[in-house]
Amino acid sequence: MAEIAQTAPGRVLVRRSPWGELFRKEDWWAIWIGLGLIAVAVALFAGGSSIKWIAVAPQKWSRLADVAQQLQVHGVQYAALFVLWAVAFGIGAAALGIKISRFLPAFLLVYLAAGALYFLGQWDQAAHYNLEPPLVALGLGLLVSNTVGVPRWLEPGMRVEFYIKTGIVLLGAGLPLTLIAWAGPVAIVQAAIVSLATFGVIYAAAVGLGLDRRLAATLGTGGAVCGVSGAIAVGGAVGAKKEEVSVAISLVVVWAIVMIFVLPLVSRALGLSTGVAGAWIGTSEFADAAGLAAAQTYGGYAGSVPGIEGSPDAAVSAFTLMKVIGRDVWIGVWAFVLSLIATTRWERTGVQNKSSAAEIWNRFPKFVLGFLVASAVLTLVTRGFDYAAYKKEVVPALVAPLQAFRTWAFTFAFLSIGLTTRLREFASIGARPFYAFTIGVVVNVILGFVLSTQVFAAFWNRLGQ
Amino acid sequence: MRLPDSRACGQCKHFQNEPLEVEAALPGLSSLSSAYAAVRCSDGICAVHERYVAASSICSAFDEGYAFA
Repeated sequence: MAEIAQTAPGRVLVRRSPWGELFRKEDWWAIWIGLGLIAVAVALFAGGSSIKWIAVAPQKWSRLADVAQQLQVHGVQYAALFVLWAVAFGIGAAALGIKISRFLPAFLLVYLAAGALYFLGQWDQAAHYNLEPPLVALGLGLLVSNTVGVPRWLEPGMRVEFYIKTGIVLLGAGLPLTLIAWAGPVAIVQAAIVSLATFGVIYAAAVGLGLDRRLAATLGTGGAVCGVSGAIAVGGAVGAKKEEVSVAISLVVVWAIVMIFVLPLVSRALGLSTGVAGAWIGTSEFADAAGLAAAQTYGGYAGSVPGIEGSPDAAVSAFTLMKVIGRDVWIGVWAFVLSLIATTRWERTGVQNKSSAAEIWNRFPKFVLGFLVASAVLTLVTRGFDYAAYKKEVVPALVAPLQAFRTWAFTFAFLSIGLTTRLREFASIGARPFYAFTIGVVVNVILGFVLSTQVFAAFWNRLGQ
Repeated sequence: MRLPDSRACGQCKHFQNEPLEVEAALPGLSSLSSAYAAVRCSDGICAVHERYVAASSICSAFDEGYAFA
């Protein structure tokens, strides 16, 4: 993949093939793993079989004896599922440069802990005690990492983004392309309104408070577009100071974690439907993994908490449309525009950035392509089935197993968020960045709420039915 | 295909963009994102200017000796 070009005695430049990108970024590995599982599932389904044997998932239980019985009956399947995930993620991790001998033991523990959380979520009293798996995973992880600490050997297995992106690709299999085409434009309009307003408020507040414009832009994109990913994309594009990027990351992570708990709680108190709550979370959460934790939590309330209407999947679907289609895909454009402004308008720093339109594609979150391909494949495969046949044949043999894979991948991610968040390691934020970002958070949450529950409420309610 | 600019940050020994090093230098990055993400491109940390910069950037302190991670 890499070629060595001799330029002068003793000096070498490494020239990499652009195709090497397909194996060096986790976005692409999320696509290979997600679409690989979908391809096998579709092939088996077309041959009259199903992948469901290995896509094992805990079932509802009320007594611990039920759990023991499930493990006894399906133990081999759980072991096989571990091997499948370990091989898939292990190959990906190795290609990214993470030693497989360090990844596998750590992943084994992640898998076992995720399995325990998955089982907990199936307890028939879980909703009664507010034991939603994403929140428990996050809370437990935060508690461990910020008290006793996480052993170093576990770190290679905690790849939040790798797991969440794989889950999002698999999620594409549950969203028909027609639905994305129908809801996508509304999501883009709503997200654009909130993104522009939030960025404008944070940027103006930061500059007004005397902060550097590069920090203002990094904070603004972190709050308005795609959280930590937005902050590092724009931080690099405009050449922000290292500590400015650290400050933006710290603020995004802290607020994103607060919102994981606050948004579902407030939505529940207001009795929002799953579609509306998902849209609000998609508009007002800062990171994909954090938002999916909140949206999946809220989806879990449907059917178990009185007064919450809509299907359980609608929260995650609305969130994904809003966050991934409405916000994430535009990060390259934000990075390009801001790097152009930084290069031509802002004070020079000693490092000269080269602004290029190629930035739009280079920084594009490629896993979104996998999400769209997954949606297109399942739409094609299922188009010949009427509703009754779809429910009877397609769902149990194809859709439900892929949904189980997705839930596993998300659970790995939710657990890893808490375990990798060590608050004491965060940069000292400072009052002015905190105020600037927090003003943006307030505007973002209020505007997102009004658009989701008033302006586009009918639309998001319909999505949930 | 063009060679990367021979005097760009990506070819400078003061530039670090190895993913695990970047994650170690920016606490919280791996909590809700990743140094392996496509959005990061090949950005890295300049030890001279203490900035997080694109690998294609240039500056007068260039000191060749380290290749793209």
